Formats: sequence, structure tokens, C-alpha cells
Amino acid sequence: MTTDTPLGITRGPGETPHEYTFISPDRTQTARGGEFVTYAAMIDGETQQILGRITGRRAVRLLPNGFLADPNVPPEAVAALIGYVGQDHDLFEIAVTILGYYDATLGDFINPRLPPRPGTPIYVAESDLLARVLSKRAVGQTGAALVGSLLSRPADEVPIAIDLRAITSTHLAIIASTGAGKSYLAGVLVEELMHPRNRAAVLIIDPHGEYNTLTQMQAGKEFAAPDGYRPRVDIIRPDDVKVRTSSLTLGDLRYLLPDLSERMHYVLGRAYNLAGRKYGEKWTLAQFRMAVREAEQEISGKKSPAEEAEALSQDDDYGTAGAVIWRVNSRLESSRIFNDFESLPLARLFHPGQCTVLQLNEVDGREQQVVVATLLRRLLQALMATEKRQVDQGDENYLPYPAFVLIEEAHNFAPASADLVSSQILKTILSEGRKFGVAVGLISQRPGRLDADVLSQCMTQFILRIVNPIDQNRVAESVESVGRDLLRELPALSKGQAIIAGAAVNTPVLCRVRQRLTEHGAEDVDAPARWVEWFETGREQQGKRDHALPAEHTRGRNKLLKT
Amino acid sequence: MFGKLIKSNAHTDYVCQVYGRGEVDSPPSPADYAFGTFVRIPLSVGHGQLVGVIYDTVLLNPEFGSLGPRLSPVSDLAVFSPDYLAEKVTLVGITAVGMLAPDGMPAHGVPPLAAQIDTLVERMDDDAVCAFHRTPAGGVQMGYAPLLLGLGSPLARHLLLHVVERLGHLFPAQVATLAVLRNELAWQAAIGPLGGGA
Repeated sequence: MTTDTPLGITRGPGETPHEYTFISPDRTQTARGGEFVTYAAMIDGETQQILGRITGRRAVRLLPNGFLADPNVPPEAVAALIGYVGQDHDLFEIAVTILGYYDATLGDFINPRLPPRPGTPIYVAESDLLARVLSKRAVGQTGAALVGSLLSRPADEVPIAIDLRAITSTHLAIIASTGAGKSYLAGVLVEELMHPRNRAAVLIIDPHGEYNTLTQMQAGKEFAAPDGYRPRVDIIRPDDVKVRTSSLTLGDLRYLLPDLSERMHYVLGRAYNLAGRKYGEKWTLAQFRMAVREAEQEISGKKSPAEEAEALSQDDDYGTAGAVIWRVNSRLESSRIFNDFESLPLARLFHPGQCTVLQLNEVDGREQQVVVATLLRRLLQALMATEKRQVDQGDENYLPYPAFVLIEEAHNFAPASADLVSSQILKTILSEGRKFGVAVGLISQRPGRLDADVLSQCMTQFILRIVNPIDQNRVAESVESVGRDLLRELPALSKGQAIIAGAAVNTPVLCRVRQRLTEHGAEDVDAPARWVEWFETGREQQGKRDHALPAEHTRGRNKLLKT
Repeated sequence: MFGKLIKSNAHTDYVCQVYGRGEVDSPPSPADYAFGTFVRIPLSVGHGQLVGVIYDTVLLNPEFGSLGPRLSPVSDLAVFSPDYLAEKVTLVGITAVGMLAPDGMPAHGVPPLAAQIDTLVERMDDDAVCAFHRTPAGGVQMGYAPLLLGLGSPLARHLLLHVVERLGHLFPAQVATLAVLRNELAWQAAIGPLGGGA
């Protein structure tokens, strides 16, 4: 983009000390919201380019409305009729928020805290400058994720590379309405995480089964490295998701078992502790049932174990223990996820250079939450134990590398309206995970239903189109790094356009998400095409029926005709 | 010729006294000095002509307000005090809206030169009005419109409306563009004073 000609001239300071306004005819329609502009200023004896972002645009001189009355008559013709011979009759006042000049040593912008003098020429920022200063990491560097390019410039002119180190320590959130492209963006991020320069250990919680296509990374030449590296993609189908019953916490059990009375809660708690004491860490469901009965005996103290056992053997619904056991059986014994011995090994789920997709699309909602809570808890415990050298190589809890977990439909795991088992562990990871190398990425289409604390602790935000006002307000409340001016853009963003803000970029940017290298797996069903297809198939079947010989039947037509 | 300049109130604001009965062979009819009529006023030799438009008419009667009795009948006054009868005159206000160069090239806006006292004022015919308003490209121009609107007279918009109407007849090819201006002026003149918005 050429920047030889000034875009406009500074009018004066704006509403706050770090804002200014300039006047421009904007012949080239450049001064759009989110565009970056610069002016030169002397800072400590050196000329610095002070970068600013356009936050508003207001017409200050326009032709009268009456001149626009006839669509067939250009308003300029009417202006010329009455003797106006000037050019650039439209003038705009452009509001700019000052970001400052980029200090490579600090890796951040330094705000001069002084608006430009009136009359200072304002230029469109050079693309080269933006490419250097907007992204925290250079494209191609380890830890850089090329997610797209600056929206206000031609495609690929100003690449936006986010800092994966910031994401994997301070978490991220991808927020968008349905169909705005959040899964697509997540796919781009995963591609970058699995690129040979990053080789991350990634787990995707996939409640809709839409990340299958990531397996293409294994064969993609873009992902192959000269040292033989190729990313591994492990899809874990719903049938293969296993959680060992004894890895459930008392909280998980209470959450899973429906309609527990106060006494049942008490019995369950006693039984849980008893099972741990008596059978060790890895108890079975049968042992847990025994523990429930024993807990009932301890509490009631009225029957001998023999009497109790006899009563229970005759009637499973006997007493509180019977009711608890009935609930345990109905929820856990019939479940294809919970079992006595098998749990998904952490080493299978998390490995550098491996992306594991945990598909939960046929799993009950509560079970999904418990599965996620259990996995995250195990992950955090393993990383803590490894960090504190409490486990060694060979131990199932040994995980000597950071891990990143991407959670789709995050509002189901940390809703604003309830405190679920998964909310608690998510909050723990969001506040303490960085110390041990576990980070999460939350993807949600309903930020209004996502816990505000959880959202506010994701320090990098990818915000795509959001139309719902409740969701917009939640984003405005929880996401401090995005200015109001950018949030105003939310309803107007198109598919694949995102606001990226927070720790992984130097300043909030409007980004055009790059094209995925793998196919997008979350395409909607083309219902009309499928209907037509069915009709065509149906007509064929109808044709076969019409030309088929009459079937022989004792009460059939042939028989009747004969009689 | 329908009169002569007798004074000016400003650089572009002239007062013309219309010839009365007995001053010229054929006195002008009211249609000759109607509201919105374009006139030309010769400048000194070699400087072309001023072009103006009549924006006001005043009937001057010095006797108005003199309530004292006059002994002589009107028929006698023509004999004994003819100058008294001549004092009853029609004055028209002319605002200069441009110039015609000696070669006929029109220029709209405030003319740099002023007319002289007693200069004769001539009504412009349709061809002359056309020539004054035609652009080199064959279009129509009214470059003096802001000047007229700036007069501050309540009649200014109506004057422009009158001019636009006339130009609409003279420049049929430009009627659409003129219509936009006419509609805007009509709205401002008719609805604006009653509180109509832009």
C-alpha cells in the first residue's frame, strides 16, 4: 500500500489524552475502522513513527440531502449547477487511538501520552511496519502461529502471527456465533500447533465429531519436516472413551447420580472414603457397592452385616444403601464409558507432535462433563507430580511436557448458571495451569452462557461475528483488552474475520483468517440437495415397483380375480 | 431599455428607476421589469456588461404621508407642477449576478466592476439568458445561486425558484438536474418555514 501521500491532517486532540482526530477527504476509502495510521514525532531526539488505530469516522461535510433526491442525477451535477467547482466535497473526521511507537527491546508499544499537533500529516501505516510490530513473533519462528492477515490490507500483505507461548501459558478463547467460523479458526490454530516448527501436544474435546479431517495433517507435505517429523492425529471414537470408575471424585459421583437425598449424600461420602481406605486407589464398582452397604451399616448400626446382606440380597431397594446402589448401577454399570479397570492413558492422549481428538458426540451431557473433568484433573495432577518429581518415567502419571487442551462447546463445561464438576477444574487450570504447563482453549458460540470468570481468565481472545446482544455484552464485560470500537465491529464481521486481542498479539487486530491446509469438517448438511437426491432415488424405486410382477398371495389380487 | 440606474446600496445591489409616462416614447409594461427578469447593464467601453436580476419592486410616492390639502386639482398640476407628478415612480432592485465579457463569455458571481449612475438597463431576451447560463460543455450553470441565497431576503428562494423554472424551459435537456434544485428550493421555501426537516 502506498503511503507517500498523507491520508489527512491532524485536527486536534480527541476525547482522551491518547486519542486524536484528523480530517481527511479519504478519496481512496482507506480510513476504515481498525486501519492503522502513523505520524512522525520526535521522542528523545529520535524520529519515531507513532502508530494509531482508527476507531471512528464521522462525516463533517456532505452535500445536502435534497441533492440526493433523484437517483438518476448525480449530486455533484447539482453542485456544479450552482457553481460549486471544488473537489473532495466529502470531508471526514477520523478518530484515532494512539498505540505508540514499537520498542523492539520491550517488545511492546510505548505510548507518547501526547497527541500530535494540529496540522501534523497523518499517513497510512506501511505494511512492512505493521508486519513487524503487530505480531509478537515473526512468521516461521518457533512459537509463531500464522492465523491470517490484517483485514484492512490486501490478503497476505500483513501476516498476523500469534505467540503460541502466550496462548499455552495464559489460555485462549474463541468466541463466535454459529456459522461465523470458530471451528475453522480452531482448525487453523491446531494446524499451526502441529506444524514442524511447533510440534505441540494437543487434545481436542470434540462434542460434535467435526475434527476428523485433521487426520489429513499426517499426510500433508506442509507438515512434514526433514528430520522425519510428521504430526500424529489420534481420533478417539465415543466407544473408545473410557474412564476408570475409581478415578471419579466424590464430587463427580454426586454429580452423576441423580436425585440424591441428604442421607444418600452422607452414605455416598462415607462409602467413597471407605472404598479408598479399604480397596486402595483402584477400586471396582462391586467393591464400591460393598462399601456403600458397609457405610449404611456404620451409619444405622442397627443390623448385623449378615442381616443387612440378607436384606439387600432380597431387595436391592432396601434402605438408603439400596437406593444409592440402584443409582450407582443405573448410571455407572450400564455406562459404556465408566468401567473398573480401563482408563485412557495420559501418554496416549498427550504427546508432543500428536493431536488427539476426543469425540464425545454420542455421550450423555453429564457424562461428557465428568469425562472432561476427570481428564483435566488427571492431566493437572500428572503435570504437577512430574514437575515436583513425584513420578518418574514409566509411571502412568509421568508427563514431562506441556499440554494444550482445546474444548469445543465450552459453555457446556463451564456454564454461567451452574457450578459443574468441569467448571471447578477448569477454573483451577485457568488460574494455576501455567505453572505446570497445562493450558486450555475454550470455544463457545454462547459467551453469554459461559462463566464470566472462566472467560476473563483466557488472556488471548479470538472473537468472530457475534450478533446476540447478550453475548456481545458478556464479551465486553469479560474481555478487557478489546476496545469498544472493535467490539462495535462484531455484528458486521463476515465469516472468517476475527478480532484477535490479548497476550498473543501486540495490539488488538482485525484479522482475515487464513485458508486451512486440511479440509473443514464442520460443513452443514445440504438439506435441499439431500431431499432432491432422496426424491430421485425414491422415483427409481417407485419405477421398480410399478414394473414389478404382482406378488403371489393367498388373498392377493390374482387370487381374487380367479374366484 | 426600461429604466436607468439611479443609485446602488452595495456593490451588487442597484436601484433602477423605471421609465414613466412621458419619459420615453413607449413606456415599459410591468412585464418588462417583472420579478426575476434578467437585465444587462453596460459597463464602460471594452469591459462588457453587468448581468443582473430583478429581485424587488418599490412604488415610490413622495405624497404618501403628506396629509395637508392641495388646492390645485390634478389636471392643473400637470401644468403648474409637472415635476411633482414625476416624483411618483416605480423603482426596481437589481442584484448583479455576473458579467458578460466583450466577447460574450459569461462569468457568474460577484462582478469585479461596478456600473455607473444613470446607466440604462435593458431586459435580456431568452437567447441572451441562454447564452449567459450555458456552460462551455453545453450544460446549464447558475453559479450565482449561492450569492442570491446569501442576500438574506425572504424572497431569495422564490427568486431562485423563478429562475430555475425559466431555465427549465430554456434548457430542456437539463431539466432533471434543474428539477432536483427546484425541488430542494421549493421544499425550503414552502415547507422549511413551517418546520419541515432537511
